[in-house]
Amino acid sequence: MKNFQQNLSKLEAFDTQVLGVSMDSPFANKAFAAQTGVTFPLLSDIGGKVSTEYGLYKEYDKFNTKIPGARRATYLIDTDGKVVEMQVDSEAIDPTKTVTMCALRKPKA
Amino acid sequence: MRKIGIALLLGCCLLTAEAQTQKDSVPPVPKIKVGDLAPDFTLVDGNGQPHSLHDYKGKKNVVLAFYVFAFTPN
Repeated sequence: MKNFQQNLSKLEAFDTQVLGVSMDSPFANKAFAAQTGVTFPLLSDIGGKVSTEYGLYKEYDKFNTKIPGARRATYLIDTDGKVVEMQVDSEAIDPTKTVTMCALRKPKA
Repeated sequence: MRKIGIALLLGCCLLTAEAQTQKDSVPPVPKIKVGDLAPDFTLVDGNGQPHSLHDYKGKKNVVLAFYVFAFTPN
């Protein structure tokens, strides 16, 4: 999420809203935002309904317990609500490509 | 006979490697792909404020970043 924060001004300049989504509680997300300095909304998908709809619901083995968490993925959605780019797993960590895509999509003034 | 032994050994190594990559459950296949309409949602942020995808329709592009857990790097 820090990577997106670092690129936030660029993305916003291209008329783009960044939304983070995880299955954490709002309380955890608030603390996470405070700790990392993330200023864009971090949304709580408790129960994983949205993650399931996007096909990203996954269970992770942590401390010998299965914990649900979203598979890491980034979607770029245009103003018509259509997905124009997606990246999953390690690809989704670096937002450079997303920034480039946004730059290309910005309507010429 | 020796060749069969080597082949079996290789097979076992591959199986072990396969098992290790699947330590977490089998990765889900993303249902939403490029060109699809992104399913709408309404979720709350850390301050309890609701955000919906349709809020941005016709106004802004949206980068939707799914992350695994809070307090993990990146």
